[in-house]
Amino acid sequence: MKKVLSLVLALTLVLGCMSFASAEEGKIKLVVWSFTNELQGMIEKYYLPQHPELDIEFQIYPTDGNAYTTKVDNLLGANAASDEAPDIFTLEAAFVKHYVESDWTGDLKTIGFTDEELGTAFPVMAQIGQNAAGVQKGLSWQSTPGVLMYRASLAEKYLGVTSPEEMQEKVQDWDTFLETAEELKEASEGACKMVIGSGDIWNAYQYQRSEGWVVDGKLVIDDELLDFEELVKTLEEDDLSHKGGSWSEVWFAGMRGELETLCYFLPTWGLHYTLKPHCSSLWDESKTEEENVAAIGDDGTYGDWRLVDGPVAYSWGGTWMGINAAKAATADDAKKQAMHDLIYNFSLNEDWLVQYAQDSGDFVGSAKAVETILANGGTPNPFLGGQDHYAIFASAAALANGSLMSEYDDTINSLWSDYVTTPYTKGEKDLDTCLEEFKTAVAAAITTITVE
Amino acid sequence: MASSQKKRKTVSYSHWGYIFIAPFFITFLIFQLYPIIFTFRTSLTDAVGWEKILNNNIIGFENFRQLFDSSSLVYGKFWGALGNTMIMWFFNFVPQLGLALILASWFTDSRMHLRAQGFFKVTIFMPNIITAATIGMLFMSLFAYPIGPVNTFLQSFSLSNMPIEFFRSVAWSRGLISFIQWWMWCGNTMIVMIAGISGINPALFEAALVDGCSSRQTFWKITLPLIKPILVYNLITSLVGGLTMFDIPHMMTQGNPNETTNTVARFIYTQGFTGSRNFNMASAASVVLFGIIIIGSLLIRFVLNDHDKPAKSERKGAK
Repeated sequence: MKKVLSLVLALTLVLGCMSFASAEEGKIKLVVWSFTNELQGMIEKYYLPQHPELDIEFQIYPTDGNAYTTKVDNLLGANAASDEAPDIFTLEAAFVKHYVESDWTGDLKTIGFTDEELGTAFPVMAQIGQNAAGVQKGLSWQSTPGVLMYRASLAEKYLGVTSPEEMQEKVQDWDTFLETAEELKEASEGACKMVIGSGDIWNAYQYQRSEGWVVDGKLVIDDELLDFEELVKTLEEDDLSHKGGSWSEVWFAGMRGELETLCYFLPTWGLHYTLKPHCSSLWDESKTEEENVAAIGDDGTYGDWRLVDGPVAYSWGGTWMGINAAKAATADDAKKQAMHDLIYNFSLNEDWLVQYAQDSGDFVGSAKAVETILANGGTPNPFLGGQDHYAIFASAAALANGSLMSEYDDTINSLWSDYVTTPYTKGEKDLDTCLEEFKTAVAAAITTITVE
Repeated sequence: MASSQKKRKTVSYSHWGYIFIAPFFITFLIFQLYPIIFTFRTSLTDAVGWEKILNNNIIGFENFRQLFDSSSLVYGKFWGALGNTMIMWFFNFVPQLGLALILASWFTDSRMHLRAQGFFKVTIFMPNIITAATIGMLFMSLFAYPIGPVNTFLQSFSLSNMPIEFFRSVAWSRGLISFIQWWMWCGNTMIVMIAGISGINPALFEAALVDGCSSRQTFWKITLPLIKPILVYNLITSLVGGLTMFDIPHMMTQGNPNETTNTVARFIYTQGFTGSRNFNMASAASVVLFGIIIIGSLLIRFVLNDHDKPAKSERKGAK
């Protein structure tokens, strides 16, 4: 028995030493958690070389099956001040509200952010990173405004539209959007549809609301949502959409041009990481853009896409950096400064963001940096036939209303789709029945809010 | 006494036995027993949200009251989910057991002498190796709407002039889930059945053959009664697996259309891991499900073992 005991003790000792050995002498240790290696890559490439005093430990857990949030919840709920707990952790759009509303994330001002610094972020991204009381708890290095992307050749062929300005007039609000869809159906004899399905429109249309899902602890069904239902029901019944889901085979077929589809509602990342790689079946993501363009030739839809603001300015996605309140409270000044500098550099530092935007083509989170990029001549994009995507995204980012997001959006959005949009637009149930079932479902799923 | 202890010490290796079985018991205690006790405890609390998972108050049987009170919000959803689960389990299990029995008796029938048995057994067992989630995704894309392999096939052979939206039809959605479960688990049941039949004394079959039994008679009068313990085992494991059905419905239909493919396990998942994270209700539902499975298993044992009793007493009487 003694042997066993001593063996166990020896093992504990060895393991204990191993975990302490990683903290190097005289360096400031930061623990950073994320759900992709994107932030780690940026820190290692751009930040660590200039900051040898930092010793950063990265932990990456995937978001699949809620692995990341479960990990964060367990640790912050039970032992937030422990060594392994993160100092800085990233938050995705799906759950950022949940964390900024909790006491686990700290006020960024406690680590030295000033109002002046915070004022340079895009309002929509800043709003999403605030709690209900307006305390700034998260900052994003990207902003993800959404626009309407359409195919210029189809617009010209069926609608006689030759410029993005003309196109914008055809989709300036949802009524004209529907009229254009009818016009398109007539002109193309039903071959070309306005959109793939209702899911695409939802991402934009939810920003049409004047209030979010939950206001003062109560469920709110904004009147705009009922208008949304009528719109998608008309699209479905009049055969104006392909009736497919987002991320389905039909959705990608439309991008490749195999099915004639005029419009997609996509944000910044959708342009580079979704639409472009799917513009042709010959596109190979391991090659550079030039090699791909040479390889695909006339196949697909490269160069045929244009951006317009569309009926409403919206935002879709994003990643925020937040701080662990428990660890920020006990950090010394040097560590607080290091945390501030790191978050500042990646979210608001104009020089770095301009450089990063040039390297990656990403749309950054600081309004000031975007102004500089536009002043430097912008970013003409061959995928968009030379159109400058930065200019369009900038106006959407300035207008989108981030205060609509709530921590229960994920759950309520999918309940709305399952209990209202799908059964109603497919004519299975009338709207009142759908709304009643939706309310019951919300009340059963979220016991902490009032449903009337 | 002292000398015998000393003597025993030199030859006894029994403590190694404990060391070798320790890993199992340690993992069992940490990863099974503790979570079970924790679930029972959580079911009696007001633990809503991660913040309250450890700091909560015991509120008694309120969560259970809601599950059994027809005026509560979760009542319809929970029992509706149980009904769906039973329907999908039934249409999976009946054909599964039937086909597995037929295949097992063919494979073990010495008169039939099927060729390439190994090949068929492997092929029939194969679907069981693939992860359920993968199969769920596979069928979801096969039956996709409006464009998917099945719809394209139906239209190109003029079997249907419009694409069919399979996952908005209750019959198709439930049918597909039952079918996948059946298709995946049939091979497994068959192997267990073959093992059971192989365990029967061949002398009995030979005697039946000599007495002029037909294949059908042999099956009904000898094979079936003698593999009854295996049947009970199969029914119970299938009941446990069926009532906790989660991955296929979750991947393929998310409980749609209109909650008709929502299972109890999905109900527990949505309560515990979406919305306000109602861990208390999820735990209470798990405890009720646990009870239902125990009752169901006991019932199956009771019903299927019932006929044995007179046989036993007869034997006793004969002695």
